[in-house]
Amino acid sequence: MTRIEILNELKKVFAPYTTNKEMLESINDQTDLIKDLKINSANLVDIIIDAEAKYNIEIDYDSADKIINVGTCIDVIVEKLNQNA
Amino acid sequence: MNSTGNDIVSLNAIDITRTKQYRFYSKILSTTEKELYRNAKFTAIPFENFVWLLWSIKESAFKYLQRIRPDLIFSPTKFVVKQLHLLSDPIITNFEAKQTEGIGFDGKDSINGMIAFGAYILYSKSLIYNELIVSVVNCDENFENTAWGIKLIDKSDPHCQSMEVRTLLVNKLNSLFSADNISIGKNSNGVPTVMKENKTLPISVSLSHHDRLVAYSFQLAEGRSCDATSIKNLNRGIQIESKR
Repeated sequence: MTRIEILNELKKVFAPYTTNKEMLESINDQTDLIKDLKINSANLVDIIIDAEAKYNIEIDYDSADKIINVGTCIDVIVEKLNQNA
Repeated sequence: MNSTGNDIVSLNAIDITRTKQYRFYSKILSTTEKELYRNAKFTAIPFENFVWLLWSIKESAFKYLQRIRPDLIFSPTKFVVKQLHLLSDPIITNFEAKQTEGIGFDGKDSINGMIAFGAYILYSKSLIYNELIVSVVNCDENFENTAWGIKLIDKSDPHCQSMEVRTLLVNKLNSLFSADNISIGKNSNGVPTVMKENKTLPISVSLSHHDRLVAYSFQLAEGRSCDATSIKNLNRGIQIESKR
C-alpha cells in the first residue's frame, strides 16, 4: 500500500471529525490534525481506534504520541503494517 | 512560572458505547486510574463520564505545562491522576444557565484532583453537570485567584467556537481590569496570550471548546504565590502599561 493510497483512505477516517471539508480534500503530509483540520483533541482517540480497525493494526502509546499531522499518521500506519507483514 | 490549563467536554457529544470499550478507554486511563474508579466508588458518576472527567483533567494539565514546555506532546496515559476527591453523594444538576463564570470554586461542588506528569505535580478542580464536564488545572491547591467561565453557544463550528470563547474571555478581562481594548493573541507555540495595545500582558489564559460549549480559565496571581492583592497589582500593571 502506497502513502498516497493511505492518505486518500485517511480522508474517510478524518471526515466524521472535521467540518473543514475543503481542507480535508487537499490534505498533505504537513496538514496538522488539530490546527488545520480543526479536529477536536477529544476525537484524536477516535481516529486512532478507527485507523486500528481499518488496517487491523495496534497503535501503542508511543506511536500514538507521534500522530500530530497527516504525515506522521501515515508513518505510524506504514510502520505497523510492515510489522504485521 | 504562572500558567493555567482548562478543558471542557460536552457529554451530549461523546460516544458512550465507544467510551466504555476497553480499546478506547485504555488509551486514556492508566492502570492505577482504572483502580481509582473501582476503589473510590464514584457511584454518582457513570464510568463513561469518569473517563471524560479524567480526559479533561489530563488535557488541562497538558495545557498548563505546554506554556512552560512548548515541545510537550499530549500523551493521556502519561498524565496520571493520583487523587480525586468529591462529595460522598454529589447531586449532579442540569447546566441551567446559558453562561456561568467565577473566581475560585468556593460554594461549588467541585471534584478536586492531583495529577502527576514526570516530576510535575499539579492540582485540578472539575465541575460536572448532566451536559458537561469542565476542568481547570493549577500548580497550587489554592484556586482562589483562578478565574473560569463556561458558555453554551448556538453553533458548534470551529469559527463560531473560537469567536465565542474569545469574546467571553475578553468581556471578562475588560470588566475585571476596567479596560476596553484587551484582545487575545497566540504566541509562536500556539499558546493563547492576552494583548493590550500590541503588548502581551502577564496573564496566563487557557481556552477550550467542544460541540456547543466553550470555556476559559486564567490565573490572576503571578507565580505560585496567590495573594489577595494580585488583582490590584495586575490592574496597576495594566494601567502602567497603558500610560506608556
